[in-house]
Amino acid sequence: MTHSFYPWLAPSWKQLVRGWERLPHALLITGEPGIGKRRLAEFLAQYLLCEARKPDHTPCGECDGCRWFLAGNHPDFRLLTPEDQSDAGEGEEAKTKRKLPLIKVEGIRELVDFVNLTPHRGGSKVVLVEPAEAMNTSAANAFLKMLEEPPQGVTFILVSHHWRRLLPTIRSRCRVFPVPTPAAAVAADWLAGHGVVNPVQHLAHTGGAPLAALDDARAEWLPLRTAFLGHIANPAALDVLGVAAELEKAKLDTGLVVDWLQKWVHDLIALGLSGRIRYYPDWRDDLARLASRAGNLLGFLDGLKESRRLAHHPLNQRLVFESLLFGYLEALRGKPRGTGHG
Amino acid sequence: MAYQVLARKWRPKNFAQLVGQEHVIRAIANAFTSERLHHAYLLTGTRGVGKTTIARIMAKALNCETGITAEPCGVCSACTQIDSGRFVDLLEIDAASNTGIDNIREVLDNAQYAPTTGRFKVYIIDEVHMLSKSAFNAMLKTLEEPPGHVKFILATTDPQKVPITVLSRCLQFSLRQMTPQQVAGHLHHVLTQEGIPFEPNSLNLLGHAAHGSMRDALSLLDQAIAYGAGSVEEAGVRAMLGAVDQSYLFDILAALIAKDGAQLMVAADSIASRGLSYEAALHELAHLLHLVAVAQQVPGAIADDLPARDNILSVAQALSPEDTQLYYQIALHGRRDLPLAPDEYAGFTMTLLRMLAFAPAQPGQVTLSQPTPVAANPAPVARPTAQPPQATPVQVPPAAEAAAPDAPAETNLPWAQEAPAETSAPRDFDGNWRGLVSQLKLGAAGMLAQHAEVSAYDADSISLRVAAEHRAVATRDYQEKLKDALAAHFGKPVALKVEISEAVADTPAAQNQRERAARQLEAEDSIQNDPTVQALVRDFGATVVPDSIKPL
Ligand SMILES: [Zn+2]
Ligand SMILES: [Zn+2]
Repeated sequence: MTHSFYPWLAPSWKQLVRGWERLPHALLITGEPGIGKRRLAEFLAQYLLCEARKPDHTPCGECDGCRWFLAGNHPDFRLLTPEDQSDAGEGEEAKTKRKLPLIKVEGIRELVDFVNLTPHRGGSKVVLVEPAEAMNTSAANAFLKMLEEPPQGVTFILVSHHWRRLLPTIRSRCRVFPVPTPAAAVAADWLAGHGVVNPVQHLAHTGGAPLAALDDARAEWLPLRTAFLGHIANPAALDVLGVAAELEKAKLDTGLVVDWLQKWVHDLIALGLSGRIRYYPDWRDDLARLASRAGNLLGFLDGLKESRRLAHHPLNQRLVFESLLFGYLEALRGKPRGTGHG
Repeated sequence: MAYQVLARKWRPKNFAQLVGQEHVIRAIANAFTSERLHHAYLLTGTRGVGKTTIARIMAKALNCETGITAEPCGVCSACTQIDSGRFVDLLEIDAASNTGIDNIREVLDNAQYAPTTGRFKVYIIDEVHMLSKSAFNAMLKTLEEPPGHVKFILATTDPQKVPITVLSRCLQFSLRQMTPQQVAGHLHHVLTQEGIPFEPNSLNLLGHAAHGSMRDALSLLDQAIAYGAGSVEEAGVRAMLGAVDQSYLFDILAALIAKDGAQLMVAADSIASRGLSYEAALHELAHLLHLVAVAQQVPGAIADDLPARDNILSVAQALSPEDTQLYYQIALHGRRDLPLAPDEYAGFTMTLLRMLAFAPAQPGQVTLSQPTPVAANPAPVARPTAQPPQATPVQVPPAAEAAAPDAPAETNLPWAQEAPAETSAPRDFDGNWRGLVSQLKLGAAGMLAQHAEVSAYDADSISLRVAAEHRAVATRDYQEKLKDALAAHFGKPVALKVEISEAVADTPAAQNQRERAARQLEAEDSIQNDPTVQALVRDFGATVVPDSIKPL
């Protein structure tokens, strides 16, 4: 299965193998979304369950352990995610439903039974929790005891995009394993190898995360984003109600649109104040036209953070979009909404 | 796969091996030696300070076959079975995964039967604050009339969530966070025993990064050993922790003072390219700004031997106190909001740009003692329209940061050590009971102090009132302890009178409670007044769930 292992993860894998005799029973894999942490975790899980590991420190891919794992039904493996994402493919990390995705305490209670049963196969048991920050407070608290002192042979692999949101009591029981965002050249080569025409641009859109960039390049919504950016690049002609209705009709995740807008506003401010563009270098001219109003937008950016936090709430989408776009226009005009708030 | 993480391998097996909790251990050891046993104990403290460890040692001390002892033998069958988790009369209950009442009731029903092999049936209930209300009530029944052969050892990180009715029936021990020195000392011991080479300075770094928790420290040490492929070196630990060299921070401040956005980004990039942690950078930046603010108010307060002293003083001159305060707030909020940015780099740079946008109209210059690239002229970037500093959602005074659980070890700062020397010159009681209580070392008698209000006082006596509902904390024992503590504090005997009264409102506990409620309201308020949320509420009938809002 090495061929599906992302090239930029090789150093991380080497690092894991090098410290193999000290592999802890609880590993917390951290890093930005869209860089393949889940894949690394799965590779590690398969390696732990493989019954005929290869001399080059990779799972054999052929033994019963590997075959069961790859078929998704190894009896000594448990995957704990907020929703059933059994069809999770390569770019799994961008898919979210419009519902606050949580891992609840029931899931942890089932895990207690799994962990305490005798293993079916060679003695290793692996639990993969992704993303760990999706555990709600009672789930996280219920996890603590098991996480600290599991029975012999049990390994917990936690994956986290935002480890700061984890309970400190969880974090303190794990060894942290940070996965860096890959170098731009490595990521661009890989994307080109996957038929992406303009890898640098898509990498920019996602802040350098290659899997997210691949999603970005292949997304069905690509024309929608282009249209959306075209609209907000011309605030004077922006038809708020029309654009909001259009977005709603497309049935997009609210968080996705908030992300587009947040990155746009980030670029406007960064260009205005420091001459830098991070996400949309392909929109430089439009950004430059508006960047003189950068200082007005800081308050609006705060509001966007709040929208990002609330993006999972099942609110009327069209009204959310309308409110965001009106807010954007008002901010550009130099009238921050509300009082006493930046 | 047989590797046992250090935190587990080095879990102390007896009181002598415990680090940093001497005050609690002495009290427990004395009680056990003289067989003055309570039927319920409550161990409180933040994560990784040794609550479960102490509970297990207490279980051994109670059941060791050599007799009730402060020094369990470690070799008898009771001791070894407890160590390996197989002792039938020790029940470890994880309240967090057993919140249902049925479970607890079942466990407690069992309490009436005599122990099978041990002297006592010991119930360790971890994270006890997670029990449901009805589970607490069920437990209370057993706590009120405990069979002689039952001992409860409760442990929690959050005693405020434990009902006072339960608290008052427990002998309470508060475990302290470990100092960086204590942590480093223990890591030194562990590494020596493990035969792992290390550089002593690296242990100081880990000692600080552990924020008072020995388990955090040992988890970090595991990570450091893996990072260093079997040895622990300062450079490796520094890199692993993403520890930020202060020179980067001064580059940032210089660019801010020069109002140079381009240069500011260059400074940000140097942090990014070295793989340093953005969170650590904002944390350190806030800390540095705090020092700058101190230097502005009390120039002499910055110690002469602080390496960055000259730079701090230069920045203190170049920045106005208002801007320092503002930058400090922005750094704190930026750190908190990092997970809400599109990615961390964006969150970090936007925090810096926000400072830049609020900078004073006139670019300044700061002279730093190290050669620091400071642009001679402000870069030709678009100037933001002058705006009054806008209020950030929730104001956090510096004190709140110092009180945060993961605040920097403020006590190591030279200026913090010059705390007002009130203890050296005892003055008479001035009526500020809460202020006084905070200075007393009271242990469990603190519960009495917290739930008491002053009804009268003069130079030699204090009269206290305790509400009838908290009658249980007004024991003779606690009164004696409080009296001793007052005498020690004022350097003379103080007569103490405690009466039970119906209406008691002005106790430190009540004041704390009111302040917490006020902070909560304030936080809720700032959420409710947030324009986005207001729009949501107005337009879609959304409601804000008050419990989901946490004051900073
Ligand atoms: Zn295999
Ligand atoms: Zn013994």
